[in-house]
Amino acid sequence: MKSTRVIFQKGMTAFLMILGCLALSQNQASAALTIKANHDHIKIDFFYHGSTVSVSGISDPGTDLIIKITAPEEHQSLREKGKVGGILWMNVETLNVEHVPSLYFLGSTRKIEDILSGEEMEKHLIGYPALQRHVTLSPVSGEDEKTKWFNEFVKFKEASKLYSVSSGDVALTEKDGRQSYYTLMKWPYQASPGTYTVTVYEVKDKKVIDKAESHVLVEQAGLIASLSGMSKNNAAAYGALSILAAVGAGFGVGLVFKKSGGAH
Amino acid sequence: MYLYLPVALTSVNILVPVGLGLVVGLLSGLFGVGGGFLMTPLLIMLGIPSTVAAATDSNQIVAASTSGTYAHWKLGNVDFKMGFYLLIGGFSGGLFGVQLIKVLKAMGNADFVIKITYVLMLGIVGGYMFFESLSAMKKKKKEEEETKPGKESGLVRFLKILPFQAHFEKSGVTHSILVPIIFGGFVGILAAIMGVGGGFLMVPVMIYILRMPMHVVVGTSLFQILFNCIEVTFLQAYTNHTVDFILAVLLLVGSTIGAQVGTVFGRKLKGDQLKILLAGIVLMVTVKMIFDLTLNPSLLLAQAGGH
Repeated sequence: MKSTRVIFQKGMTAFLMILGCLALSQNQASAALTIKANHDHIKIDFFYHGSTVSVSGISDPGTDLIIKITAPEEHQSLREKGKVGGILWMNVETLNVEHVPSLYFLGSTRKIEDILSGEEMEKHLIGYPALQRHVTLSPVSGEDEKTKWFNEFVKFKEASKLYSVSSGDVALTEKDGRQSYYTLMKWPYQASPGTYTVTVYEVKDKKVIDKAESHVLVEQAGLIASLSGMSKNNAAAYGALSILAAVGAGFGVGLVFKKSGGAH
Repeated sequence: MYLYLPVALTSVNILVPVGLGLVVGLLSGLFGVGGGFLMTPLLIMLGIPSTVAAATDSNQIVAASTSGTYAHWKLGNVDFKMGFYLLIGGFSGGLFGVQLIKVLKAMGNADFVIKITYVLMLGIVGGYMFFESLSAMKKKKKEEEETKPGKESGLVRFLKILPFQAHFEKSGVTHSILVPIIFGGFVGILAAIMGVGGGFLMVPVMIYILRMPMHVVVGTSLFQILFNCIEVTFLQAYTNHTVDFILAVLLLVGSTIGAQVGTVFGRKLKGDQLKILLAGIVLMVTVKMIFDLTLNPSLLLAQAGGH
């Protein structure tokens, strides 16, 4: 009985030691990977025409990196164009897309398919195929139709500059046994106010070995925030203001032209 | 220089909306149309959501038509009496048209009806005006007189026997007050279906049915459009929150000046020349719409909302 207890205690000690080692290696990895999104508070003011966001940090030497920026998942409704009577293109139906981010950017050190396995891409929602399996589209009948409309959805989003997948745009430099990464991306003015999540994935042997997160906050400021707020919260006054400004401008220009002899 | 639009949630080069406003304002001053049938599609092409484009356009038309009405009023070209009856008709027709759209939407074929109405109305109106003014111009070359009296159709004779006849001094015509109310109502229904102010429909009604002189037609149409667009702007801002103030200001900077220049140019052109120009523009828009409907689109998805 006593010997069984000794064996059990020894076993437990060995198990805890292994666990400790594993935790240590895990800690070392996460301590190594850092992320910083510079210009992480974008203010939409009167002259706003988009911005730039740079993401940088330190990672383990010999690893590849994938950077993903996404908006929170939401529901989107879009109009489908289809042929009516065989010749006329018209809006025929509404396509509903569930669990989809309004913005999705992906950048990496190398081609993603070469550095990450399909399983891992699916698990971390990396790449359009993984996103396609994650979202729900309706109404669609069958996988072929889902693929068709998902591809159309990506085309629409890419045309609006809200979706982008590229590779080779994350630069790596090694110094004193440390690897640092850096990427600079254009932030589109089409991206609406909100909080966006920036995730960096550290990749080795086709697997994600660590990840770190940061955020980019986009908000309206100054006159833009006041007008946007007024149009929603004080709609009657906003409507009256719009009309008065238009009538005033019309009369004003009329008077100027009258003085300059344009009309009688 | 770029400016951010707080309701459209997009950024535009300041010169583009000002330039667009200038061109559409010019047409407004020349022909007495609001220009919604041109401006709204152009704004959508710039990346403005369709609902915001339509609502902001009506806000901009308020400025252009104020400027135009003021210029034409100074020239003595506004028939306020006729404008008032047309407004009554247009307003009632608009209310009915909005209900009709609701029914069509419930039936699921609103988009088809809207697009076909648009193409047909633009095509018929543009085509008729084009050929009518072309033949009128040819006739005038041969002999100055003998154009109008012989043309009196059955419709005109019927209009003369209607009750409530009244004389409209400014236009120099006598009609039953029911005529502008009924035709104003008809235009109001179509305008509501198409989501436009209806100037390009109202102008031909005044020329061919009410037989008003071209210069009074332009001033009176602008007066009528002004009140229609004030109503639409308020309703859009209040119920749909789709009026973009900054975009409207940029557009109206161009359109108010354009409307004044248009009025001055209009005085130098003859009625038939004006008609054929307007007809040409309407026909061009029709052709563009037919291309849009038949050519393969580059994107099969579009933002929801709007027509």
